[in-house]
Amino acid sequence: MASELTLTVNNAKQTVRAAPDMPLLLVLRNELKLTGPRLGCGMAQCGACAVLVDGEEMRACVTPVSFAVGKKVTTIEGLPAAWAEQKHLSEAVAAKTLHPVQQAWIDEQVPQCGYCQSGMMIAAVELLSRNANPSVAQIKDAFTNKGPSPHLCRCGTYSAIIDAVQRAAKAMGTEKGK
Amino acid sequence: MEIGEPGRTEVAMNSLEEEKRNSMAITRRGFVKAGGALVVSLALPAEILLKAEAASPDATQLVSWLEIHSDGTTLARTGRTETGTGMSGYYAQAIAEELRVRPETISLVMGDTDRTPDGGYSAGFLTGMENVRKVAAYTYQALLELAAKQLGASASDLRVAEGVVSGGGKSVSYGQLVHGQQLELKIPVKGELPKPDANGWVGMTSLDGITVTGEPSIKPVKEFKVIGTSHPLPGIPDKVTGKTKWSCDVELPGMLHARMVRPATMGSTLISVGDLERKKFPTADVVKKGNLVGVVSPSEWEAIRAAEAVAAGTKWTEWAGLPGSENVSRAIREYKWEKADESKGNADAAKEALAKAAKLFSASYEQGYTRHAPIGPFVAVADVRSDGSTTVWTHSAQSQGLRARIAYLLGVPTEKVAVRWLEHSGQYGRTTFGGDGAEADAVILSQLTGKPVRVQWVLQEDLAWSSVSPAWVADFKASVDEHGHLAAVHSAFYSPHMTDPRPVGALLAGMPSATSKPAGFVATEWPYDKIQRLEEAFGMPNVGGEAASGGLRGNIMRTPGQRQQCFALEGFLNEAAAAAGMDPIEFRIAHTTDQRLIDILQATAKAAQWEARRSPRSGVGKSVAKELTGRGVCIIVRSNAYWVGIAEATVTPATGAVRVTKFTIGCEPGKIINPRQLERCMKSGVVMGLSEALKEEVTFDRSKVTSTNWSRYKILTMEEMPEIQLVTISRDDKGFGGGSEAANAVVPAAVAAALFEATGVWARRIPLTSGYVQQLLQNG
Repeated sequence: MASELTLTVNNAKQTVRAAPDMPLLLVLRNELKLTGPRLGCGMAQCGACAVLVDGEEMRACVTPVSFAVGKKVTTIEGLPAAWAEQKHLSEAVAAKTLHPVQQAWIDEQVPQCGYCQSGMMIAAVELLSRNANPSVAQIKDAFTNKGPSPHLCRCGTYSAIIDAVQRAAKAMGTEKGK
Repeated sequence: MEIGEPGRTEVAMNSLEEEKRNSMAITRRGFVKAGGALVVSLALPAEILLKAEAASPDATQLVSWLEIHSDGTTLARTGRTETGTGMSGYYAQAIAEELRVRPETISLVMGDTDRTPDGGYSAGFLTGMENVRKVAAYTYQALLELAAKQLGASASDLRVAEGVVSGGGKSVSYGQLVHGQQLELKIPVKGELPKPDANGWVGMTSLDGITVTGEPSIKPVKEFKVIGTSHPLPGIPDKVTGKTKWSCDVELPGMLHARMVRPATMGSTLISVGDLERKKFPTADVVKKGNLVGVVSPSEWEAIRAAEAVAAGTKWTEWAGLPGSENVSRAIREYKWEKADESKGNADAAKEALAKAAKLFSASYEQGYTRHAPIGPFVAVADVRSDGSTTVWTHSAQSQGLRARIAYLLGVPTEKVAVRWLEHSGQYGRTTFGGDGAEADAVILSQLTGKPVRVQWVLQEDLAWSSVSPAWVADFKASVDEHGHLAAVHSAFYSPHMTDPRPVGALLAGMPSATSKPAGFVATEWPYDKIQRLEEAFGMPNVGGEAASGGLRGNIMRTPGQRQQCFALEGFLNEAAAAAGMDPIEFRIAHTTDQRLIDILQATAKAAQWEARRSPRSGVGKSVAKELTGRGVCIIVRSNAYWVGIAEATVTPATGAVRVTKFTIGCEPGKIINPRQLERCMKSGVVMGLSEALKEEVTFDRSKVTSTNWSRYKILTMEEMPEIQLVTISRDDKGFGGGSEAANAVVPAAVAAALFEATGVWARRIPLTSGYVQQLLQNG
């Protein structure tokens, strides 16, 4: 039965009518029109749907929307604002600043088809929140062994992802030093 | 500039009417005034909300290809699409180079059949680029003439930089030149848009679509300013910020969501459809035609749950017509083979050399089924109107071919159908022939419900019902001279149908769908000119092909045919080198006079710090070490590009585990268009090649595919990726080559050779799973 649920998504309170067991992914995509997270396997085996829930990576395809009630959900659409808030950026600066992970993904030209990359960036943001300066081995470990499954990329962009995570780490570290 | 045909303006107006009818809040920048004629402003995400009109732009008219706007920006249209390998960047570079503008000023419309003139398949990058490059070159000449008139100078005295023409002490920008002008320019073309054709080798005509002809003056390589630079891909910022509209994001007014209910086995027919509990699923409906069953609802969540409930109660006949994946090589061997479908080489010389051989050397190779396995399961939206006019929103790499197939399926003229392209998950050749996606399902359900329908496949369905890269076996024999060199090679490659892209929806529904006759093809571009050779390829029908669904529908996949035949040929070369006691790189160089191949082989070997020696190392086989190491090499020549792969691997004999620790890949594709994009394609190609070498195989029992999730169809993870080293050579004197696709093909034979060097055992089959390697070592 559908009920009214209130979520905080990308820092905005959102009320949706949805069955509590409806996957968070469908609520984000179809109700809130946040299409950054995408359907991959539908069973937490690939990571294409990953979002942050209270800062922790979750697979939105198997997470019931009820789980997210009262928690803070972040999708790639909300990463720039999350960064701006974290860094107390002025509105003018925030408007033209991407999250360093997103900027690194552009600078390293990571996406090929790009379908899995939303989940990859979410995993990177979470990793960098735990480990400000991860080694190649730690990045490989995080994207392979953490969470319910490896983050899979069929185009094979793993090498570019590693470069981008390290680039973002550097950018965020420099930012901290200021 | 002028609209090519009178009908086009009307097309635009129709779209406006359509827009008004859709009482949606569409922000549309509307029409751009281009030289006095109205043309639709393109590339607006909101336009996916509009019903497309069906006519394709007239390819003989410049305006169908290019618009130069008064702000100096250029809009270019190509039937090709971005498949993740960088086409959108290279096309912009090629156009910018010829027009003498910056690549950032070029925007592209790709793949929409009603907005692009030429069709063609997206992997056909070289032909697609040639089209827009020539159009840009013709346009440049026309612009020069205009400028000469305006500046009162002769065209030969003009200089052009970044879209500004200077001469006679004055200058004028392209934007100023075209403002209020009508640039009358006929583009010479040949060919036609595709039609389904059961006699064609891929089940359709005109794979390449329309080709621009003539020889316009093309900028010489030494003057290149844009080609050869690392222009970033235009689509990446939007993909990274979530702004890209993907095909899975299309939403139409009144659209129904659908999930399909697939048969119990590959050959089942429908007995009865399960009940749909009205009380539980008040707005869902079951739709069926033949063996095609779908559940639709305005709510995606209701469609998902209702489809699960219906599937549980749906009854199907039993069927068991597959050999089982463990028996597939035997099944191919047992087929009654007759004569080869294709032969290449110098048959008489090769046969004679083989007949007179002092020593014969032979080996056989094989591989099971593999598949494209996109991360995003296929999705499509279709809107079939009562008059037969149809629009499909999807991510096919062959929009015009798909359009023809949809028209054929519906029994309407091609002109009634429009295909709109959007980005989606990479698919590595699966839709090159215009088929095998969710489009047929969506079209049939839309026709039956009278509403726009979005069909979203799920992973299990994509991994079970999509087309596959077929299993194969290959037999090689060679005559060997007194030095161990190969005088002649005879190869025979046997494979089920490899060009059957029929969409499963059409097959299950029993609706028309064209395919080709199974025919093997020799894909190798023979690199060893010192060897006489006879290459033969044999094709057989799909395995399980008598099933209503078409069985295991064989289709091409990245580096098609070449990939498989390269594993066999290069494995054979490695074995022959070992038998001759020669270093495998020196052995290859001894069999070719192609200096381009020799150059990239030597450069890659040097980068990999390759030490010339025979394989395997002495003492191998007696070693009791816990881990053994080896290295191996593989090359491929394809589409005017030369590739070398060198694998370094560690083998754990106790477990059979093969770990590739480093991979060096070299590429010489003529002139490198975009060094950075080439490098990322090389690295990612290595990942895909390793995935195939080490892990991938479609498994099936007698009835159905069983490798239907990522723990059963395993692909390479980040942790398994080795250090990857790159070597590139760019040449100004050899034109352009295919610079991304073949990177995967140089991996498997190199890894198998590394396994041999480590253990002394040849693997003549992939994937090199630990179970298979352990078995090989035990049988050693």
